[in-house]
Amino acid sequence: MTRLFTVLLTSLGSKVVVALTGLGLAGFVVFHMLGNLQVFEGSESLNTYAAFLRELPILLWSARVGLLLIAVLHVGLTIRLAIHNRRARPVPYAVREYRKASMASRTMALTGGLLLIFIIFHLLHFTAGVVDASFSDRLDPRGHRDVYGKVIHAFQNPWFVVLYLAAQGLLGLHLSHGLSSSLQTLGLEHPLLNRLFRAAGPLVAGIVVLGNAAIILAIALGVLRA
Amino acid sequence: MNFTLKVWRQRGAGERGRFVIYPARDVSPAMSFLEMLDVLNQQLVLKGQEPVAFESDCREGICGSCSLVINGIPHGPDRGVATCQLYMRRFTEGTTITIEPWRAKAFPIIRDLVVDRGALDRVMQAGGYISSNTGGAVDGNTILIGKDRAESAMDAASCISCGACVAACKNASAMLFVAAKVSHLALLPQGEPERATRAKALMKAMDREGFGSCGNQYECEAVCPKSISVHFIAAFNREFLRATVAEPGPLTEIPSDPHAEFR
Ligand code: HEM
Ligand code: FES
Repeated sequence: MTRLFTVLLTSLGSKVVVALTGLGLAGFVVFHMLGNLQVFEGSESLNTYAAFLRELPILLWSARVGLLLIAVLHVGLTIRLAIHNRRARPVPYAVREYRKASMASRTMALTGGLLLIFIIFHLLHFTAGVVDASFSDRLDPRGHRDVYGKVIHAFQNPWFVVLYLAAQGLLGLHLSHGLSSSLQTLGLEHPLLNRLFRAAGPLVAGIVVLGNAAIILAIALGVLRA
Repeated sequence: MNFTLKVWRQRGAGERGRFVIYPARDVSPAMSFLEMLDVLNQQLVLKGQEPVAFESDCREGICGSCSLVINGIPHGPDRGVATCQLYMRRFTEGTTITIEPWRAKAFPIIRDLVVDRGALDRVMQAGGYISSNTGGAVDGNTILIGKDRAESAMDAASCISCGACVAACKNASAMLFVAAKVSHLALLPQGEPERATRAKALMKAMDREGFGSCGNQYECEAVCPKSISVHFIAAFNREFLRATVAEPGPLTEIPSDPHAEFR
């Protein structure tokens, strides 16, 4: 056990865990977006899907606990790494010019930290329902929780639209560097596949952002109604 | 050519440093960057002032001792060269040139632009070598290896340990250095027997010396005077994972810092 910890607490060991948990979170984000797209199929489809996710308490809670564990590991280890990295250069450069480092790669801690705040807000909003008191949970005609109505209600409010779109921007930046970076951290690299690996981050990030933003904008612009 | 130099001056490790502005007049475009500094130092000495301390030795890009961050880029604006191979014709007439030392906790400043890169040596002492018996040396090419493998090993071995990768890294990580050293030996039959212990030992030594972790921004590759590829970092990551899984080693760990005596 101590041997495991000495490996995991080396900078590379920690990075490997950050990469694996990051990929796990990325996988979740992709499926989350795909699930959300059912809003375009109408209230019945989305509400049935939402009910299905909640049907099996074992599934629901193991997914919740699993995601929480992954998130805690990801955030905890990145904070630890970030502190070490700050300490590694106590005196900053007066002049600094970057040749390769992308905007996204330079702001990982910032986008990550803001994402954390957003995720907490998002859970309080849609999962716990404590943010927006103007909407109280109700049932649709088939007896399912009316998730569809809740989503429509939320994005008819311009403040939520702006906030959620901004969060998509953060997620896009974080993922676009994070995904490709985690492949390199895990040693997944090959002369024939490098282009694919380096494009994977921006590509997946772009798809997730487009998918989620489409939902928000469709409701905000009145394409989707209650 | 004429320039304004903004040079970092610091008397010692614990002291406060600051930038001092010097004019550089009538610089020949054919001068190397270090020759331009030599001229500046001559003028300072004639004026009875303390010359600017900077490091150099071979002045042909092979020893790795020259180490200046020029306008925010380690080894300056040209790619694939060390500071000593940089020429003044590369700069725009009349501009200000900012000169800083490598900045990292693991590289304490000795004076002005000279830093102590002993941390890299201590990383090497942790396992960046092969163990061999003394006595009659084995014939050079007794163990044959493929051309491709030899070329890859040579690419990694071209590291001159200048520390520019650390200087360029946002996290002051020495991963490109460590990766090059580990890969160079792991690719060769002589390095094979100790590759697992070497990968783990160098990793721990890098952390111990206070370098940061790799953020995969690839700035290191972009400033390396030997253009060593970050492909070696991925290879080292695999090497470390392989070592951890396949050769976890004995339960009793070697003492954490076997070279404490050299500190
Ligand atoms: C949906 C949420 C998230 C996803 C999909 C995600 C994904 C990723 C991925 C794939 C990486 C790359 C790992 C590597 O370079 O090896 C990463 C790195 C990182 N993540 Fe996240 N992450 C998420 C949330 C967060 C949060 C909430 C934080 C808050 C602190 C955070 C902070 C970081 C930091 C600082 C890094 C950079 C680590 C480094 O380069 O040393 N992430 N993330
Ligand atoms: S002085 Fe030797 S590499 Fe520059």
